[in-house]
Amino acid sequence: MKIKFTFFTLLFLFAGSNLYSQDDLMDLLEEQVEEESQEVAYTFKSTRVINSHSIERMKARQLDFRINHRFGEVKQGWYDLWGLDNALISFDFGYGINDWLMVGFRRSTYKKMYDGSLKFSLFRQTTGSHQFPVAISYYTNMGIYSLKEEDENFKFTNRFSYTHQILAARKFTEAISLQIMPTYVHRNLVDYNEKNDVFAVGIGGRYKFLRRVAFTFEYFWANHTASSDKYYNPLSFGFDIETGGHVFQLFFTNSQIMEESGYITETMGSWADGGIYFGFNISRVFAIGGHKKE
Amino acid sequence: MKKNIILLILSVVLIYPIQAQKYITKDGVIDIFSETSFFTIKAKNQKVASILNVENGEIVASTLVRSFKFREALVEEHFNENYMESHLFPKALFKGKITNYSEIDLSKDGTYKVIIEGTFSLHGETRNLKTPCTLVVKSGTISGKTEFYVSLQNYKIKIEDQYKDRIKDEIKLEIHFDYKPM
Repeated sequence: MKIKFTFFTLLFLFAGSNLYSQDDLMDLLEEQVEEESQEVAYTFKSTRVINSHSIERMKARQLDFRINHRFGEVKQGWYDLWGLDNALISFDFGYGINDWLMVGFRRSTYKKMYDGSLKFSLFRQTTGSHQFPVAISYYTNMGIYSLKEEDENFKFTNRFSYTHQILAARKFTEAISLQIMPTYVHRNLVDYNEKNDVFAVGIGGRYKFLRRVAFTFEYFWANHTASSDKYYNPLSFGFDIETGGHVFQLFFTNSQIMEESGYITETMGSWADGGIYFGFNISRVFAIGGHKKE
Repeated sequence: MKKNIILLILSVVLIYPIQAQKYITKDGVIDIFSETSFFTIKAKNQKVASILNVENGEIVASTLVRSFKFREALVEEHFNENYMESHLFPKALFKGKITNYSEIDLSKDGTYKVIIEGTFSLHGETRNLKTPCTLVVKSGTISGKTEFYVSLQNYKIKIEDQYKDRIKDEIKLEIHFDYKPM
């Protein structure tokens, strides 16, 4: 017993002194540094999957300037240069107030719409000491269309529409990310046989098959399209291509409208009838203000 | 039994000063810097951990590549995703020692010029590294400063041809650690 005790004491003494090699010292360092949880970052290349927002937000003091185009129906053929003559465009700004809140402002051609938005990054997907399987953001916008109305008694509030979306995404691998998007859209004014409130669920994803190129898709099921012979569920396929400073998103979609209350509730094109449109988003990010502090 | 207790106390007393022979920092700083006529890249990492064993002059340091912060989020994204591939190689490590350690005495306050030699692991590659370093000992703390260049090619970090005029192959690292007794 006594021998054992003395032995351990001696061992301890030696262990504390010169027997440390650099590897042991490295092990000691690893012990001393608490394992932090790591955010799983870069789930999507930009703040949009295609039409819809992704869980990604602009980080603090970063400004995203986007120019978005949706051309006319591809089936119009040569006469319209496969839709190139009838483009809708939107200018879109997104700014990171801090690392969890992004504000947006956009002007779109369709109904001469202005809309402002907020996106809160509520939960991040994390690994390490605290694990969380998905990233969750909440997106909301309010749109006001400024297209002239003939009726003199037309109420201004009739121009309003609202969107609320929960965006939940998981980056499964470096290449594969998926996102689901329960959505509620309210429009103050609709046609006589339409509902003001529309519920929809979207799914989107990407497959990043090259260092700077990803395949993307997006689909929304909305609760009013089944009973409608006018509206369809929006379905889009495309590619994200990243260059040094820009992200290009090129895609085909059956929705020509870019704003949420539009593409989710009023998509008129049908993939079955060739009612598809070519579109692209160009995103350019600028750093505004001072050096980022951590 | 009494003897055992005395031995125990004695061993604790003896171990204590030995443990104090190690100095540690968890918020060491590395600045990286690259400048070409097209593009300046700057980033700061303030979460570098390091231990200096003043008994024999051995030094280790470790940090997460993701802890480098850039002014432009997009550059940070490219740094992690396209070049450092931090999802595959999350850490940067240094293991080494002060080679002229017998010539200096860190128990006294003062400024010491030393040479550090060891291995630097980055992007899954390990290379030898030798750099002069300044140690300042002042009232029980040791601060170390050094700078050196790392060749991206050497660590198999690929820069596409079209970006070679923006990103230099030689990246400057400025290192500043403030050690405290462990």
